[in-house]
Amino acid sequence: MNPLFKHWRFLLVGFFLAISIGSLLFIGVTFGIDFKGGTLYQIELQKEVTPTEIARIANIIQQRIDPGKLRGDILSPVGGKYIMIQTAETNPTELEKIESRIRQQGKFEATLNGELLFTGDEIKRISRKDGYGVAKNGNVYGWNLPFVLNDEAAKRFAQMTFHECTAISFSPQGKPIYDCERTMFFLDRPNALIVLTEEQYDFDEQELLLGNTFLNIPQGTSIDEVIEDSRNAIIIYENGMDFNSIYLSEVLKSTDQAIVSPDLSEKAINDLNAAGFVVTKTKSAEGSPWLWDILNAKQIIRLSEGITNEDVADPSQAKIFTQLNISGSRESAEVAFQDLEELAILLESGSLPTPVKSISKETISPTLGTSFVSNIIMMGIIALILVASIIIIRYKTPLLAVPIIITLISETIMMLGILALLKQPLDLAAFAGIIAAIGTSVDSEIVIVDEMIGKARKEHLSLLQKIKEGLFIITTSALTMLAVMMPIILLSPNMPGISNLYGFAFVAILGSLIGVLITRPAFTKVIEMISDKVEKDKAKTV
Amino acid sequence: MYMIIPILVLIFSLFFAFVYPGLKLGIELTGGNVLIVRSSTELDAITIENLLKSEFDLTQVSVSTINSANSMGAYIEYSKDPKLIQAEELINSAQIAIDEERDNEAIGLSIQSIKLLSGKDESFTNPKVALAAAQDELLSANENFLDKMKSAIVNKFNLGEDVEFQIREISPTFGEASLVSGAYIAILALVLITIVIFISFRQIIPTVGIVQAMIFDVIVALAAMALLGIPISLITISALLMILGYSVDSNIMLTSRVLKDKTGVAGEKATRSLKTGLTMTGTTISALVVMIVISHFYQIEVMLQIGIVLLFGLLGDLVSTWITNVGLLIWFVEERKK
Repeated sequence: MNPLFKHWRFLLVGFFLAISIGSLLFIGVTFGIDFKGGTLYQIELQKEVTPTEIARIANIIQQRIDPGKLRGDILSPVGGKYIMIQTAETNPTELEKIESRIRQQGKFEATLNGELLFTGDEIKRISRKDGYGVAKNGNVYGWNLPFVLNDEAAKRFAQMTFHECTAISFSPQGKPIYDCERTMFFLDRPNALIVLTEEQYDFDEQELLLGNTFLNIPQGTSIDEVIEDSRNAIIIYENGMDFNSIYLSEVLKSTDQAIVSPDLSEKAINDLNAAGFVVTKTKSAEGSPWLWDILNAKQIIRLSEGITNEDVADPSQAKIFTQLNISGSRESAEVAFQDLEELAILLESGSLPTPVKSISKETISPTLGTSFVSNIIMMGIIALILVASIIIIRYKTPLLAVPIIITLISETIMMLGILALLKQPLDLAAFAGIIAAIGTSVDSEIVIVDEMIGKARKEHLSLLQKIKEGLFIITTSALTMLAVMMPIILLSPNMPGISNLYGFAFVAILGSLIGVLITRPAFTKVIEMISDKVEKDKAKTV
Repeated sequence: MYMIIPILVLIFSLFFAFVYPGLKLGIELTGGNVLIVRSSTELDAITIENLLKSEFDLTQVSVSTINSANSMGAYIEYSKDPKLIQAEELINSAQIAIDEERDNEAIGLSIQSIKLLSGKDESFTNPKVALAAAQDELLSANENFLDKMKSAIVNKFNLGEDVEFQIREISPTFGEASLVSGAYIAILALVLITIVIFISFRQIIPTVGIVQAMIFDVIVALAAMALLGIPISLITISALLMILGYSVDSNIMLTSRVLKDKTGVAGEKATRSLKTGLTMTGTTISALVVMIVISHFYQIEVMLQIGIVLLFGLLGDLVSTWITNVGLLIWFVEERKK
């Protein structure tokens, strides 16, 4: 057996190459924003906030610009004042929407019996001090969210909820047990006509009845109640029916947008177009009832008998509560807290707790597509041939080209493979990192070749000493690479503007580790073998 | 005698980099707006500049074009309509006013910015509603401004379907913060690398030799950037960091050979290292030339800038390593013998 395949150094290289090729084939490289195109936002807040606070703000923004994470926007807080957003969106109209949602308040609405109860603009604040939080209550954990309405809304609230609870029975102690009306919360409900097929309606009806704790849909929710409370123009389309033109022209007064369920027939869409609507077929987030998702319905909250003035007979005498509470209970403190936070975010999405000071943006067009990759590969091959030729000419040993080319290619494959494995995106910065790593790799290879076969060959030193000297140079060089790149790795999560360099530093460090730990030991061994051969050849000719 | 070369190079480089023409900061570090146009039709900088100046209220606009065999484009740096800037400031103050519960002031500021942007007189009772309306107005004014600029260019040059626009809008405060971050990582890298070298060689003079070479190389690269009009940006900062890495490679090799091997004459060892070092730098430079030529041809701006910065850094390295550092090391070894 060829000794090449026996030595541990080669097994190590083989092992990592196999892993890398495997991950490139089966996982594949995640292309970064430079390849796919997209937009990069840098959001600066009015002031520095705590890590939990900025995470909360990022959550609110996420909720608003990419509910359900359908588009897969990535939001990352940087330090306590900045949030970076990466989105695949490049369409100017969509971008404008995103920006307005980042900057502006969300349109929060609470409705009752198909009428508007209060809006996000009318919430003065969430009282995070008194009563806010989770407390153990028997064997469940109760959460409580107090908030304050402005006077006008508080008055309306008292009128609209008046006697909305009815006593249905009595407890063993003789106290009445009430059944109360429920309010529904919406965030950024679309200003559009919604059309769904009968099939979609039936499906959603079942789903809503079943309920969904994840989406905050209580069991037994009636689809008609959702439709009523949304106060939205909604049409349930029976196959072959004609739209009521009077109704459509009424809707057209407020909007020309129509959102339709994915299974709506071509004929219906054509009819809507003919009536003057701009139709968008929209899928719902996976697992969500279509209508619930499209309406951006968020919560259904039962009123409590404490605020419906059951003890007052005359509506004009109704007590007005400016401070209201929403409460609930869950089986664990953690889940209760999650519920509480989620709802607080919803009510606050009216306005961010700390306002946005500036938005910087950069659109990236996906021009760096396939042609870019082929250009880079061409660049790499030409550079490789040049480098190999220089080394062959310098040391007059053509055989040297083989290990050099193999090493450089293996290192590149390993860097790409490990990037794929770690799902780190490959972008321009990562390419720069590969260049940095390959550059130092060539330098180190020259040092190794030089120590062992070059003209600089030091006859008085033993092979071991030579290897040791080469090793010192190579390790020091790798350590300096680490020293240069470490600050980027350490500071980029906390300092604005340099997060784009993370990929660069990461790949450069990865490359130099691969070099020092995996490929260079094998390379040294090969050069040792070539050196012996060269010596023997010399001996023969003498 | 030879020492005159590094000194002259240093003086000229410092002059180019910091006096004339001087280094420019890229917009990601100063804040500003850029519209990048790519198309298959050739664009002309002066026409664009005149067009924008005559049709828009721009206090500042500068245009440069990139035309290579493969693609055409224009890089338009402009300052926004002063109205938009003013409205943005008003809205920011309104936001702070709401935060501090000065509702009437917030309403007033919002109304003012709406009037400024659209001339409309509106009245509000709810400060949050007023603010939202003002923000809406600002966003659409912003978008309108951009749309008009784009269509003006498209019409002027009769650009077809293949035109592509890219926008960069960096706020001045964010730019400033990025500049601070960039300076931080550069300084920290230099400090850490110095520590690593000192720990490796445990002697002051050789450490000084290596660090002087790194700084010298970076200054030469900066001078080249100033002369070629390549701005300091996050991309060029990363290229400058790569120079630190490359420059240190040849210097560590030289220092280690001259110092660690106790036999032989320092001069001889240095000459031997020179050959190795030239091979190292030679291979890197040849690879960089390939990178520069190809990325110029295909308009890969980022790669082009990295290539040029590295190339000049490495040329500087030939001087700082093989003249200055060699001289320093030989002197150091001779002194040590005494």
